Amino acid sequence: MTEAALSAPVAAPAVDRERLTAVGFVLPSFVIIAGVFALPLMLLLGVSFVDANGLTIANYKRLLGTPYYLWVIWNSLRLGLLTTIIAFLISYPAAFALARARGPLRSVLLATLFLPLAASVIVKAFAWTILLRSDGIVNETLMALGIIEDPIRMIFTETALIVGAVNIFLPFMILPIYAIVAQLDSRYAEAAATLGASPVVTFFRVILPLTLPGIIAGVALVFSLSVSAYVVPTLLIGEKYPTLATTIAKAYLLAREPGFGAAAGVVLLAIAIAVVALSARLSREPK
Amino acid sequence: MTRAAIIVCWVMAIGLALFLIIPLLVIAAASFSPTPVFDLPLTGASTRWYGRIGRLDGFWPSLLLSLQIALLSTVISLVCGTLAAIAIARGKLPGAGIFATALVSPLMMPGLVLGIALLQGFRAVGFTAPWATLLVAHLVITLPYVARTMISGLARFDFTLIEAARTLGCSYPGSVLRVMVPALAPSFLIAGIFSFLASFDNYPVSIFLADVRTKTLPIRMLQYIEEAPDPTLAALSTLILAGTVILLFVSDRVVGLHRMAGTSD
Amino acid sequence: MSESSPHLVVRGVSKRYGPTTVLDHIDLTIRRGELVTLLGPSGCGKTTLLRAIAGLAQPDTGKVELAGRDITHVPPHKRNVGVVFQSYALFPHLTVAGNVAFGLKVRGMARREIDVAVDRALSLVKLGHLASRRISALSGGQQQRVALARAIAVEPDVLLFDEALSALDRKLREEMQVELRRLLQEVKATAIFVTHDQDEALTMSDRVAVMNKGRIEQLAEPRELYLRPASLFALNFVGLSTRISGTVLSADNGKVDVETKVGRLSALGNFQAGSPVIVAARPEQLRIGGEDETNSASGRVRSVVFQGSRTLVEVDAGAGESLLAELSGRDGAIPGVHDEIRLSWPVAETFAFPMEAQA
Ligand SMILES: Nc1ncnc2c1ncn2[C@@H]1O[C@H](COP(=O)(O)OP(=O)(O)OP(=O)(O)O)[C@@H](O)[C@H]1O
Ligand SMILES: [Mg+2]
Repeated sequence: MTEAALSAPVAAPAVDRERLTAVGFVLPSFVIIAGVFALPLMLLLGVSFVDANGLTIANYKRLLGTPYYLWVIWNSLRLGLLTTIIAFLISYPAAFALARARGPLRSVLLATLFLPLAASVIVKAFAWTILLRSDGIVNETLMALGIIEDPIRMIFTETALIVGAVNIFLPFMILPIYAIVAQLDSRYAEAAATLGASPVVTFFRVILPLTLPGIIAGVALVFSLSVSAYVVPTLLIGEKYPTLATTIAKAYLLAREPGFGAAAGVVLLAIAIAVVALSARLSREPK
Repeated sequence: MTRAAIIVCWVMAIGLALFLIIPLLVIAAASFSPTPVFDLPLTGASTRWYGRIGRLDGFWPSLLLSLQIALLSTVISLVCGTLAAIAIARGKLPGAGIFATALVSPLMMPGLVLGIALLQGFRAVGFTAPWATLLVAHLVITLPYVARTMISGLARFDFTLIEAARTLGCSYPGSVLRVMVPALAPSFLIAGIFSFLASFDNYPVSIFLADVRTKTLPIRMLQYIEEAPDPTLAALSTLILAGTVILLFVSDRVVGLHRMAGTSD
Repeated sequence: MSESSPHLVVRGVSKRYGPTTVLDHIDLTIRRGELVTLLGPSGCGKTTLLRAIAGLAQPDTGKVELAGRDITHVPPHKRNVGVVFQSYALFPHLTVAGNVAFGLKVRGMARREIDVAVDRALSLVKLGHLASRRISALSGGQQQRVALARAIAVEPDVLLFDEALSALDRKLREEMQVELRRLLQEVKATAIFVTHDQDEALTMSDRVAVMNKGRIEQLAEPRELYLRPASLFALNFVGLSTRISGTVLSADNGKVDVETKVGRLSALGNFQAGSPVIVAARPEQLRIGGEDETNSASGRVRSVVFQGSRTLVEVDAGAGESLLAELSGRDGAIPGVHDEIRLSWPVAETFAFPMEAQA
């Protein structure tokens, strides 16, 4: 038996060794992702079913059964939805202009996308608190232009929240859309036109479907980021607008209710996973 | 496209560019404010707030901590992530596609949820030293950036280049060094920068692992803003911003020039 | 070393990937200065054989000798071979000159000598003016030349081309075939050229090795390969032919009489009576009309394809058999479709192959 094993052909181990090397290469990353990502998330799921008295679904009952927390969940979704929609409406047309831009103009425009991406969220949110104060630039400008007479209250309103969130998450919308639009061959639109399609028909029948993958990617990314944003609501609106994220932080950092915080985390996670799964599904479908 | 549509596109693009850049300009301008309230337009300029950064309560230890964690986690992730990306790109790994997805999936997960999950997890195994927990946690923050960039970089890398180098007289390690490393240098640099920034800027995960004495810079900064915002913070933010810009600019120069000049030595 | 002594010897090389045998005891001897083409269908093992010679794939059994040296276990970087890859594999971070200089630098050559050698290699491929260009700023044809210059710059003992021209468009490819041939003769290179384009193989090579399923079916000069195919596979793979199946009636000293559905035919071949065979002839051997001492068959013209200097005529000979004739206008009138005609061809140009060998 051992004799046979020892004299086995030499060709097979070469393939095995390649595979073994590959496994060795991914092992460290696997350990990190499994041990510091997957396992803790599973544990979190477990903790969400525990309270002071043991195993329970009370955390979920409280979260999904009290009007206050339903409002909190709605606040998160609302923040996500509004941010995503507004960011999309700005980004989509802008991506086409960006794709047509050439030379230095394009470099400048791209720099304005990448630079904020590299800047800290806290720094940007802080900037908006300065901008939107009652004696801030926005009010001063509006008054100087005669649009308003007295300063309006903007900081700590939903407007401030959405403006800040759109500002911070906008690059994540336009970059994937731009990536697709830039590759879009203008011949498609021309072909459609020669086939007798009006610009409107061409847009809805040709351009929109072709750019859909970029839209889906951008929408999914911006929604999952803004629905779970923490720094932005904390700095720009505060206590008035509790979200799932601020609820989680409070449950852990102040109230010491890990079970309840975990349940809120699981709900937030479920929303994020649903969005990712949906977008993956949608972007696969047309093929 | 019709003329009207083109105009709308351009208006949106220019507006978007201004909208994105304004907060950064405002911070920079406010940091030179002569008065403690950020009065804009400026009535003069003062650099005194820059001098006060160092005197912010707990500033230096936090800066040091954030730099340590960001640097270390980036280096570890660069090594692990690049190795994994190579294995995935070579196609010798069963289930490579699924693993690639798993590697980048933390990017799409809410950071705060990861933070509490790690808090629970570390507690459960009795791993509570703040510095070490922060480092380990930041591996999950940085690894996906590295994995994503390196996987796409390697997907574009033609492995016959290595064979070509070998037939031209280069040993295998030599070929990797002379061909693969320069070809992947841009990806490597981009991966490194974004992973460093992701760690350096992280708040939602760090907040659950920090303690009173071990606070990262973002935690400190949020605390300063909530307690007593004054132009010192704008000055600090401007410095961080300037540092980032320089980092991006220099690396673009290094990689860009390197490619243009077309020499590996 | 003399011109005709063996320069590259592949002896009994086999290679398996898992259960599939990719190379099956390959024997191949190439003389110095010779250009040999490996011709065969996709997946027959051409690339694998080339990689075994270059040292990029380790054979399971067998030996490889190059310039009198056993290189079976020598790593690729010590073999002194030059490879032109199908995708060219040019280093994107280096200039044209940087690519050509790569192998010389690695060999530790002095800077001045490198410059001279690079200039020479680039002028050979007529790219001297592009030396400082980036690779991404070259056309496909130019990249092909850079790859070639890079491979010849190191003065390798053997040059290996893996479908080096297949990424070029047809016109450019035909130009390059001629130019490459001239250039290889100029530098007196020994070369192996992999292709699955038969025209390329016939145009370029001193000898052609027809490969099938990991084996070399025939190794011969292009003319001999075309006129005397050693197997049905070689016949089918190179050029067109008329093929008719039948059964051997009688055999006589290298000649057989075969009963087919279109009549009795004679062919060259050694078979026992009763063997099922395929009788074949090249289309240009077929003539209109019936002469004595020849094979002949008749039928109705199915199609006529005009191809400039010649015309291909396909004739339905009934019973599922067809005849293919290539007629030049000089031989008289070209028949029309549906005409009833009789075709004949010499016995000396008719071959019989065993039926079961048909792939
Ligand atoms: N590394 C490998 N692992 C497993 N199988 C392989 C490997 N390399 C080649 N093969 C298999 O070996 C056979 C021959 O491959 P090879 O590349 O030599 O063919 P080829 O004649 O060059 O074909 P083509 O004309 O398509 O390039 C194929 O069936 C291929 O699938
Ligand atoms: Mg091949």
